[in-house]
Amino acid sequence: MAEAISRAERRRYWLSLAGLGFALPVAVLVHSWESLEAWRSGSDRDPIAVDRGESQRYAGAEWRLTTLSRLPGGSADEAVVLAEFEARIEDPGLLAESPCAVVLTDAEGRRWLPAFLTRPVVRKMQPEAADKPRCGGLAFQGAGTHGTARMAETFVIPATASGLALSVTLANARPRHLLFR
Amino acid sequence: MRTGLKETGAIIFAAAILYAMQRTTPLYSNITSPVSIAGEQGKRTDARAFALAVGDVHLARTVRIERFGQTRTYTTSGVWVLVEAAAEAKRESLTLTSAEWLGPSGLRYSLSQRISTMPAMLPAERLEPGLPKPVLMAFEVPENELAGGTVLVAPSAFTPLGEEVRVAITELAVGDIPGAVTIRRSDGPMPWTLETE
Repeated sequence: MAEAISRAERRRYWLSLAGLGFALPVAVLVHSWESLEAWRSGSDRDPIAVDRGESQRYAGAEWRLTTLSRLPGGSADEAVVLAEFEARIEDPGLLAESPCAVVLTDAEGRRWLPAFLTRPVVRKMQPEAADKPRCGGLAFQGAGTHGTARMAETFVIPATASGLALSVTLANARPRHLLFR
Repeated sequence: MRTGLKETGAIIFAAAILYAMQRTTPLYSNITSPVSIAGEQGKRTDARAFALAVGDVHLARTVRIERFGQTRTYTTSGVWVLVEAAAEAKRESLTLTSAEWLGPSGLRYSLSQRISTMPAMLPAERLEPGLPKPVLMAFEVPENELAGGTVLVAPSAFTPLGEEVRVAITELAVGDIPGAVTIRRSDGPMPWTLETE
């Protein structure tokens, strides 16, 4: 009753099964490739370290951090950090299209986003900085072609935070980003 | 004969398994629902991105808000629930835009938008890492959904598999609901004061 299964058939069976083990992961990878690419290019994982006061070419401009100063915050536990930086524009077209993200980081890896409104203490102690535009298209347009865009951002951080660094990312240049120490 | 019986048994068994699987398949909304972290009232609860501590919960039939010398009165067909809390971002600055009151029957009540202009209302406060901030939440809830309620707080209501802190409200005087609570701005350590009448 039992049919003899030919050797060739048996071999085909096992080969197919082994092939499935290869084809399935490949199918998953092919399907998710685009998402993986998007995730890779969306993350800021390629910092260009720049020392304070030094210039660095990045995303169509030459960038420099001019000041990173601590001002008193609203309470004893709180400090306001004022970051002033400038970009000497080389390629206005490239800059204008690219949204700018500025983040302050500390030695523990915590990340502070800029405050929406300039703190009163900045206006009081550094009025000139309070009038500077924030990083973005407006600042670049104001500087004109081949001009220098002078920008400022403020952050509210705990007074105990140490090892501060300023990260500037332009969407076009991701995953590369500037890290001013 | 025997084989036939076996085959019928196998088919019934397979059908039962398929039926059970069909009945217990979770909805997409269940699969992607937030990961909840249970907390206690009066204690700090740590999620990965933020921490929350729920303090006093006040009830009132009406809320009065004093601003710039004017008093505005807000009535409700339910009961006002005012939750005093403190919140802190842990890794990156964020805003907790979603808070809900989960009643004992499973109904959820979103934050009331009517007094959202008060300072320190939770969805308007930007939280910074390392700086705990006092925050206020206001809900309008039917009286029978008060006892045994839970406060649910998340950075966003729509993020799949996001984090959600759930704090069961155990200290709540449901039997004695005050007529009115007045909220005033304050320059002290807390940006508001609450006065029960």
